[in-house]
Amino acid sequence: MARANWRGGLIWGWTLAVVTFMYLPALCLFLASLTSSRYFIFPITKWGLAWWDKTFASLEIHALFRTSILTAAVVTAIAVVIAFFGALAFARYDWRGRSIYQKIVLLPIFFPQSVLGLALLLWFNALGLQLSWQTAAFAHLVWIIPVVTLVISIQVYSFDPALEEAAFDLGASRFQVFREVTLPVLLPGVFSGALFAFLLSWGNFPLSLFTTGADTTIPEYLYAKMVAGYTPGVPVLGTVSTAGAAILLLGGYALIVLWRRRRET
Amino acid sequence: MTTRPVLLELRGLGKSFGALAAVDRIDLAIAEGEFFTIVGPSGSGKTTLLRMLAGMEQPTAGDIVLRGLRINDVPANRRPTCMVFQSLALFPHRTVGENIEFALKIKGVAPATRKIRALELMRLLRLPEDYYPKSVTKCSGGERQRVALARALAYDPEILFFDEPLSAIDYKLRKTLEKELKDIHRETGKTFVYITHSLEEAMVMSDRIGVMRAGVMVQVGTPNEIYTAPRDRFVSEFIGDVNIMPVRRVEGGRLRSDAFATDFTAPRMPEGFAAGHLVVRPESLRFVTRDGEAENVLAGRLYNEYALGSRIQYQVRVGAPEGAHVFIVEKLRQQAYAGALDDEVRIGWDGRDSILVGD
Repeated sequence: MARANWRGGLIWGWTLAVVTFMYLPALCLFLASLTSSRYFIFPITKWGLAWWDKTFASLEIHALFRTSILTAAVVTAIAVVIAFFGALAFARYDWRGRSIYQKIVLLPIFFPQSVLGLALLLWFNALGLQLSWQTAAFAHLVWIIPVVTLVISIQVYSFDPALEEAAFDLGASRFQVFREVTLPVLLPGVFSGALFAFLLSWGNFPLSLFTTGADTTIPEYLYAKMVAGYTPGVPVLGTVSTAGAAILLLGGYALIVLWRRRRET
Repeated sequence: MTTRPVLLELRGLGKSFGALAAVDRIDLAIAEGEFFTIVGPSGSGKTTLLRMLAGMEQPTAGDIVLRGLRINDVPANRRPTCMVFQSLALFPHRTVGENIEFALKIKGVAPATRKIRALELMRLLRLPEDYYPKSVTKCSGGERQRVALARALAYDPEILFFDEPLSAIDYKLRKTLEKELKDIHRETGKTFVYITHSLEEAMVMSDRIGVMRAGVMVQVGTPNEIYTAPRDRFVSEFIGDVNIMPVRRVEGGRLRSDAFATDFTAPRMPEGFAAGHLVVRPESLRFVTRDGEAENVLAGRLYNEYALGSRIQYQVRVGAPEGAHVFIVEKLRQQAYAGALDDEVRIGWDGRDSILVGD
């Protein structure tokens, strides 16, 4: 009995520590946005939503959102397509050189992002490309495609190749097999990959810092404002950015769960 | 061979992977409406053979001829054949109805017509109609088997291939489905080509059986022919428990067993037979009380008995305890041996009940 209590206490303590260290900073960020003061003073003396109003009214912030969403959306669309076929190539089919291909495709995950960002900056300069959100999207893709490939490949590894053979045997063309069987069966993995792609691009700072040029994404803006020109608009934007990511993630998870339940009824 | 017309012909069909011949120049003719089963141990090449017939593997030698037309180069989706896979390969994102209708959807059949056909097939396969919208992932093992078969029948193939579809299910359900499959074969009149490693399964369902070993079709015949006249030791042992004794031909048309230092009466002696194995099925052996009660008698000790439901198997050891020759005797329960374990017993058989095979 005493041993069970001790074990229960340990689990609760551990959970509390995880919540405290992982989620308390995000809560502090939210609290910091609720001040009406110009500066961040803790404990907060004047509460209010004034900085939320100012932030949402700012055209600069609107432009930031547009740039970040556009970059993340383009990265997601391209990364998912390339990663899907890349994952199929090494997780579904057996061919000579498959193992080397897998390692080459996945290696950029382990590159330090700041080094990768600098390398891409030099590369863009060498090619004479003007830096913008498009070059940032390319930079994101270099790092995100391997991550998404890995995410999708987990689903592909559990795919029964006999499903494709059965569909082909039942008269389907190669394209019909892909449309009617391969893609729908792997869709949860593709969806997870898309979520990963969007969120990783949305929150990326090191690659964006080197490659956006005159365009600015939300993480870059937050960093710039923290270095110079802090206002409580920074925690407002930080809260919105974090909450948006969380809602997208939880919403995506809920969609996958609903889809699976629907499939199983 | 039946008198029905030949539907599928294999002419010197082979498949090699490098130096390894997975299927070694097989000649075979399968008749229309026949239930033909290919049996063999793991690695005997039966799955490779079936995949070639279905169009999923390309032969490296020989021809596959369907109704007189060579179909080697016809892809699987253009062949009038369909396969029920070992894993069943049911589409997990589709309902029972959608799985069954898949081939019809691909053919462009209207949804209402598809549903009518799917429900017809569900009735044939004894699947309740309210399963139509049910997810296949919620079906039991037996129901999934039926859905897979209905899906294949919806394609309306001339030949249905089965790649060990019953291998992963429990004994009782397997026995039920074996009989159902035979019933469905009769009801549909389709040609079934079935592969399994279980000769028992093959015996229950098949019109004819082909036994494969190391890529070679070693014997083709009716279940009765395979059972009563196996071509060699491999086939005789593959069929089930057998008693095998090495023998050689001696003067007077008798068989000499050096292991037991005695002569046995011979069954029909094959032309030119000099040495080989005498095979006696467990049910052909009987307990006797004295010499002369059977043409061939051996004395031994009753070592153990095994209840097999309606039958009982006995293990009789003949010869010195170390290196004793083990014989299996099988009796119906009502003819059970009345004595006890460790009894000195005599077992016997008549020459006509034994089979002579080569190596």
